[in-house]
Amino acid sequence: MSDRILGVLLALFAGWYSWEARSYTIDFGDPMGPALFPEALAVPIGLLGLYLALRPDPDPDWSTGRYLLSQIFTIVVLIVYALMLQPAGFVLATIVMVACLTAMLGARPEKALAGGVATSLGFFALFDWILGISLPPGFFFGG
Amino acid sequence: MENVAGRRAVAAGVLGLAGLATVRPAAAFVGSRPECLAPSAPGGGWDFTCRTVGRLLQELRVVDQPVQVSNMPGAVGAVAFANVTSRRAADNNLFVATSTVGLTQIAQRRYPGDIDRVRWLAMLGADTGVILVRADSRFKTLGDFLNALKESPDGVVTGGSSSLGGYDHLRMLLLAQKAGIPSADLKRFRWIHYDGGGPAVTQMLGGHVEVVSTDLAEIAGFVEAGQIRVLGAMAEARLPGAFANIPTAREQGYDVVGLNWRGFYTGGRVSDDNYNAMLAGLKRVYDSDGWKEAARRSGLQPIWRGGQEFERFVASMVADLRSLSQEIGIIS
Amino acid sequence: MDILSSLANGFAVAVQPVNLLVAFIGCFVGTVIGALPGVGPVNGIAILIPLAFSLDLSPVSALILLTSVYYGSMFGGRIASILLNIPGDASSVVTCIDGFPMAKQGRAADALAISALSSFAGGTLATLGLTVLAPTLAMAAIHFGPREYFALYVMAIVIVGGIASGNPAKTLIAGLIGLAIGTVGIDPATGIPRFTFGAYELYEGIDFVIVAIGLFAISEFLFYIEQRRTGPVEQIPVGRRTAALSRLTYPATSLRSGLLGFVVGVLPGSGATLASFLGYALEKRVVDKKGTFGKGDPRGVAAPEAADNAAAGGALVPMLTLGVPGSGTTAIMLGMLVTLNVQPGPLLFEQQPDIVWGLVAALYLSNVILLILNIPLVGIFAKLLSVPPHYLMPGVVTVSFLGVYSVNQNSFDLLLMVGFGVFGYLLRKLSIPLVPVILGIILGTPMEQSLRRALAASGGDLWTLVESPLALCLHAITGCVVLVAILREGRRRAEQAAAARST
Repeated sequence: MSDRILGVLLALFAGWYSWEARSYTIDFGDPMGPALFPEALAVPIGLLGLYLALRPDPDPDWSTGRYLLSQIFTIVVLIVYALMLQPAGFVLATIVMVACLTAMLGARPEKALAGGVATSLGFFALFDWILGISLPPGFFFGG
Repeated sequence: MENVAGRRAVAAGVLGLAGLATVRPAAAFVGSRPECLAPSAPGGGWDFTCRTVGRLLQELRVVDQPVQVSNMPGAVGAVAFANVTSRRAADNNLFVATSTVGLTQIAQRRYPGDIDRVRWLAMLGADTGVILVRADSRFKTLGDFLNALKESPDGVVTGGSSSLGGYDHLRMLLLAQKAGIPSADLKRFRWIHYDGGGPAVTQMLGGHVEVVSTDLAEIAGFVEAGQIRVLGAMAEARLPGAFANIPTAREQGYDVVGLNWRGFYTGGRVSDDNYNAMLAGLKRVYDSDGWKEAARRSGLQPIWRGGQEFERFVASMVADLRSLSQEIGIIS
Repeated sequence: MDILSSLANGFAVAVQPVNLLVAFIGCFVGTVIGALPGVGPVNGIAILIPLAFSLDLSPVSALILLTSVYYGSMFGGRIASILLNIPGDASSVVTCIDGFPMAKQGRAADALAISALSSFAGGTLATLGLTVLAPTLAMAAIHFGPREYFALYVMAIVIVGGIASGNPAKTLIAGLIGLAIGTVGIDPATGIPRFTFGAYELYEGIDFVIVAIGLFAISEFLFYIEQRRTGPVEQIPVGRRTAALSRLTYPATSLRSGLLGFVVGVLPGSGATLASFLGYALEKRVVDKKGTFGKGDPRGVAAPEAADNAAAGGALVPMLTLGVPGSGTTAIMLGMLVTLNVQPGPLLFEQQPDIVWGLVAALYLSNVILLILNIPLVGIFAKLLSVPPHYLMPGVVTVSFLGVYSVNQNSFDLLLMVGFGVFGYLLRKLSIPLVPVILGIILGTPMEQSLRRALAASGGDLWTLVESPLALCLHAITGCVVLVAILREGRRRAEQAAAARST
């Protein structure tokens, strides 16, 4: 079933991809043009998608229950982290992110927090001071 | 590494603030963290311009701290342009490297905005466009090449470091126009885009492309080695030094000047005081021996246009490039 | 010009204390920088360029600094690949395939040692080749035009496509998806943006670092969460090398892959990454009789390592002889040379032999220094894995974010990375191999661009693709590979059917 869904999605993607590529034209000395390659790619993608839909492999073992929840939680945390990195600053955002994930993986809250602080400051020192790659200071430090 | 030195310098400055305030040279860059933005990856031409000028600014003590060079490649400068116009329009620390290549993009409306979105500071030097063939080519003069094109527009394989419609291609088309080739035929020229002048010439040596249009500086080594012949240089007059025996396009009857100048712009809302300070700083770099030496080494001709003169120059160049692009059919 | 005496001169320059010190620093800094995923030799060199200026180093010393950073960061990239399954840069991807399984089996130190030794072998081979053959090779490489490159890329895709085992339809899909991802961005030949939907961040395409770190590192984290479902996760046994150093050299593998890598590296534009893929694929075809490649076969680490270091050395051939960069890093080195008033080009060997031979000697020295530096350290690096996973994994995530952030400093990239992480997780769940995806991303643009250049030169005539003898040879090789694969598959099915019938 999973493969069938994948196959259908691929076929749909191939259709959209090919249609979008059509608009890339130039009426100027390039015989092949920017559209040909994507359009050519779409054909095997679509065909293979249909093939998968018709001859699927057995379903994989999808995660369920609290593991699935953990994974979704992780993704949410990472998205928030990505968005908050610049406004909140590297140090603060990283402490929060690492603490959340460490706690989720089973560490006790105070250890998770300690881990967060250590990781955050350690990497800040490494990247910002030693390597000279400037990291967002966040609103605390005038960013 | 730069950051550590920068922090030390700032600390020193804070400690001696009162004294420094009176000693500060009049034409100093304002802003405490001077930064040059290169819209290319490290190692590209704009990156080189930033690093050279930044180094000179520091050596001449126009700035107190090292100039930080940051890179923001993307879309031949469009990404940096977008960033500057949207987020750093009033940033008085920042000057951005640019060149005729960038202007061509603006002219062809490939930047998110037109020339009035930024303030054009100055140009400090220019590279010359050249038309090259192999030393054993059937073309001996520019006329040979252009006549061959006239008779058979798709009979010669040409190439260079810009995409179709980019500045290398455009310069060649300008020559063709001057040779009287009609616009409809210009579209039929075979053009191969390469990643740089070096790769283009190398491929030419291998016989995969017959004529290359690009900047002189990058491939000067090949000229000196005698492996390639320069059909013409698109300069106003003969080039100095080792390149003095290269005929210009003008003297062969095709009055086209195709210089790729290097210069800077800054944010559109930078104040007049800041703008003038930056301008003065750049002028000092230009006047220095260090710049003359750097330009000579990299094959650039030192040429100065600054402030309003430069803004007018940019405006007229963009207008010309735009109308040419429209004529040829690159843009509508 | 007597090559040996020139090289001797070069060594004399290279072993001056200043230069030795510089090489040590460069190797060390390079290794540390390379170990951080996403931060590659480009960053290292960009950071050290101002240092080289401010220290007023002589041109040779500055070059030695840069090349040792280059080699150092290549090795550093392996550390993350082997220990954490995060490719530090494009050329590290293939090392993950067998390196990470080795680490999971407790042989991380072995894998790192193999990496160091094979890299040394490949690098030495390349330095030798560079010394002896540079001008000749440069002239030969000129004959590679768009048609030949296209043939090469097609051959690479076909050969490497055979690496992944499993459902061939899925392998093919993976490769195609990779090619499709590679089309995002501005089309270099015409300047038209494709699939960017107005997002300027996508104009240069989707950065490889974002894809690789997302697909490998973030998905690994999601997998880890799930693994605990089937019981507590065992701590990976970590320790010293399990084998003597001498047994960790694989001379035949290193030689084959090194030669292949060197040749690939000499061709401008095809670099260490392609070499690592081809080296691995070749080795797999030649020696993998029992299907151990992909599960922690040491030769699967030795081959790409030798190949890509050899290619890195090979990339210097076009750079020094023609002034044409063979890869991103050599492009920076080129800029560096120009700044130092060294004009690379056809006359470099004649005009500035001191610099060239000093550089060649320095390369060899960097190789030696890296080996000396890193072999004792592999045990220490491998200890990294003994950090408890609930601290280690979030740390890995942090480094991943940092690595991606260091490229362009924007949040869009970070979100994209997370997206690829989820995508990678789904792909792995559905048994779609990741390596062909990466390969597709890497090769898609060069392959398409070379095809278009070939057609632009011929005015649209497709026959041009087979009109060059060199291109024809490469296509023939590709054809043979496909034929052999089909025949093998046919025979395997016949045997299976016969076995089924007889039971």
